[in-house]
Amino acid sequence: MLNQEVLKKFASILGPQRVKTSQEDLLTYAYDAYVMEYIPDAVLFPKSVEEVSQIMKVASAHKVPITPRGAGSGLGGGSLAKRGGVVLCFTMMNRILEVNTANRYAVVEPGVVISEFQKEVEKFNLFYPPDPGSATVATMGGAVLMNAGGMRGIKYGVTRDYLMGLEIVLPSGAMMKTGSVTSKDVTGYDLTRLICGSEGTLALVTKIVVRLLPKPKSRRTLQAIYNRIDDAGNTVAKIIEAGIIPATLELMDKMIIKALEDFAHLGLPLDAEALLLIDVDGDLEAVEKQAALVADFCKSQGARDVRVSQSEKENEQLWVARRSAFGAVARMRPTCVIEDATVPVSYLTSAIKKVIEISERNRVQIAVLAHAGDGNLHPLVLCDQRDKEEMVRVEKAMEEIVDYAISVGGTLSGEHGIGIAKAKYLPKQLSGTALEMMRAIKKSFDPQGILNPGSFLEYAA
Amino acid sequence: MIAKEIREEVHNCIKCGLCLTPCPVYKQLYFEAASPRGKVQLIKKILEGKLEPSENFHRLLFTCLLCETCTVNCPSGLKVDRLMKAMRAELLQKFGLPWQKKMLFHLLVGKRLLPFFLFWGRTLGNPLLARMPRSRKLGTIPYSKFPRLNRKPLREQYPEIVKVASPKGRVLYFTGCATNYLFENVGRSVINILQRLGVEVIIPREQVCCGLPIFLAGARQMALQNIRKNIELFNRDDVDAVIVDCATCGAALKKEYAHILEEMGESPEAAQALGRKVLDISQYLVRFDLEKHLRPIRGRVTYHDPCHLLRSQGVKEEPRSLLKVIPGLQYVEMAGADVCCGGGGTFQWEHPDVASGISSKKVQSIKETGAGIVASGCPGCRLQIYGNFGEESVEVVHPVEILAKALH
Repeated sequence: MLNQEVLKKFASILGPQRVKTSQEDLLTYAYDAYVMEYIPDAVLFPKSVEEVSQIMKVASAHKVPITPRGAGSGLGGGSLAKRGGVVLCFTMMNRILEVNTANRYAVVEPGVVISEFQKEVEKFNLFYPPDPGSATVATMGGAVLMNAGGMRGIKYGVTRDYLMGLEIVLPSGAMMKTGSVTSKDVTGYDLTRLICGSEGTLALVTKIVVRLLPKPKSRRTLQAIYNRIDDAGNTVAKIIEAGIIPATLELMDKMIIKALEDFAHLGLPLDAEALLLIDVDGDLEAVEKQAALVADFCKSQGARDVRVSQSEKENEQLWVARRSAFGAVARMRPTCVIEDATVPVSYLTSAIKKVIEISERNRVQIAVLAHAGDGNLHPLVLCDQRDKEEMVRVEKAMEEIVDYAISVGGTLSGEHGIGIAKAKYLPKQLSGTALEMMRAIKKSFDPQGILNPGSFLEYAA
Repeated sequence: MIAKEIREEVHNCIKCGLCLTPCPVYKQLYFEAASPRGKVQLIKKILEGKLEPSENFHRLLFTCLLCETCTVNCPSGLKVDRLMKAMRAELLQKFGLPWQKKMLFHLLVGKRLLPFFLFWGRTLGNPLLARMPRSRKLGTIPYSKFPRLNRKPLREQYPEIVKVASPKGRVLYFTGCATNYLFENVGRSVINILQRLGVEVIIPREQVCCGLPIFLAGARQMALQNIRKNIELFNRDDVDAVIVDCATCGAALKKEYAHILEEMGESPEAAQALGRKVLDISQYLVRFDLEKHLRPIRGRVTYHDPCHLLRSQGVKEEPRSLLKVIPGLQYVEMAGADVCCGGGGTFQWEHPDVASGISSKKVQSIKETGAGIVASGCPGCRLQIYGNFGEESVEVVHPVEILAKALH
């Protein structure tokens, strides 16, 4: 529990309105989009780097645990107060400070919502590609600390690939800058990319500088439906082999097709095993050539139905299926856990088949979405959290999926992060030496261990 | 006791947070307990016995416009609004109603409204309103921007059956309180258009307030007599439709009555039968070939979607079609037409800061269209938008008023 003296100090920094301690406030900061709950002792809402710095000075003087949080859409408990203390919530620190068209970068505060930032830069004909499924909710700060990915990963990479610099506050309260606004920068260690994906265990991000791209001039969407999942997998291989890099390459398995049909009645065939949704983007001429080529690949690999959009409006119509997929599946059962084990892309088809086999053997309902172009699987595990016996089977199935991904050279988590959800699997992938190095880094940033305590490194120990 | 089907909803929330950004209230306050996800969590804790419903919780539960944006955005299909409405009813006994609402609801229930209107409204209300200081506000709306009461209630201005020669149709008209007492031109427009189209209009004399403001405040028992009376009067098989010009009354008659009765353990069948007959006036009018009755009028118009029409009733295109069919009138779609205006019935005077923040965004979107006329089929939105528009001139009207003006 926090003592009154510390709370008073926080209130003198932020004012009473932005220090919340009512039971109702604490209970609503006990969760994220994962299934565990930890009740914090207070929730603070800073609006400036100075406030963050002062808060950290008080926190380090009193050894108060501080856990940073954006919108709380994370899938691994990363932003929960595992050891109590303060949740430092950045939703009120949410200004877009600069969109620099001459040098193609932007500066934002951590609480800016990703999709709102994307809309803003599009007004300048610019493009910020990282688009996690939660982009309409998740904050830029959260995306940086979790190194969020998304559907455009295959062509455009992830959050890390757009970071140029940060303003951060260390647990001691010291402020510093990392990186710069130039596209080339080899001065010193790359701390920007170290903070990115650190899950809030090293420092707090108070300002973010990201690189922007010119907005692609055109885009075409293709939808291909397959009787056999192998044919869909072979199409993906064929596209990659031909040197075409689609903007997105999404796969949905038969359970998702069925859920979509039940929910949205899109006219999809119920006996199909897989659906591919492919976007190509760039200059109109190139896009049309690529779209035709990809359509040929789909057909030659045995797709039963291939549709190629002719306009932005038709793109959107084809995207309805993918956009509705999560909702269609999520409403089938009370709880939906989203897995994100990732395999080298050539193992994609085998991995999906393995997931289906694991799901049947453990009698767990799993629907498979995948960012097929980069091997990032999203098995959607359907269950009811209240059913303890079922949850044991769910745990087992998830561990088997992770084991398989690692056995073929893949990773525990492609884009959701470790948090507490996958912490116990960490030693499966990281050697003792690697974990030791990570702990040493943590210690040099946060010697008292007050930043996001109980997170992946400690949990794994 | 909250009905089982509604209670179960708390377990279907997967906490994804997709309801946060679309929620107009959260977008003003930016803390979780103000969001739909946060409220669902608190209701869950209360139902599990892990949280005592406190004054703070009660205040949070009413820090909600009931605009239903969360419900339509929820990937798990949670009926978030129904859960909140049921919880409000559940807490009525513990927290009661504020005196202002108690007074208002007593007026709206049963037969007290008409005599009140005739005496206080006409003889004292209008002159009093004219003397109020122009800058003083009720909630977010300056007194100078409140409408004057109708000279005579609309229903007193017409016979119970407005006959036409060789009728092509026959409807029951639920006028609602706003049209009856405040916006008579809406009612006149509805009747004029229907007469022109050869439709016989029956305006049941005995109709009462739809009761929605009462039961959304949680006072379901108090609203029951109104609900029953209206079902009895309007659930008739000898008409083509029951038409409603007010989004809120429409939502009540089409949907809410059946939900409430069912959740209170009564038979919802008659309410459901009525619900199937209810049409928003725009839904009824688009069935006709209107163009031949219209002459060109000048002007630029934009349209605002009332929550109770778009999300409660799923009516989106019909009112726009009514505007687009008028020759000469330029239609411009505003950005975020489907976003709540911030009115939310009594919300705007209970939470003026939050409401005015939401309304200023709406006003901004309207100004960007350059339209001089805003059309919206909801008296609440009309008051809120007009009241928050500031000094610049704008006309906020019901789509049927423009349509009636264009009749030749």
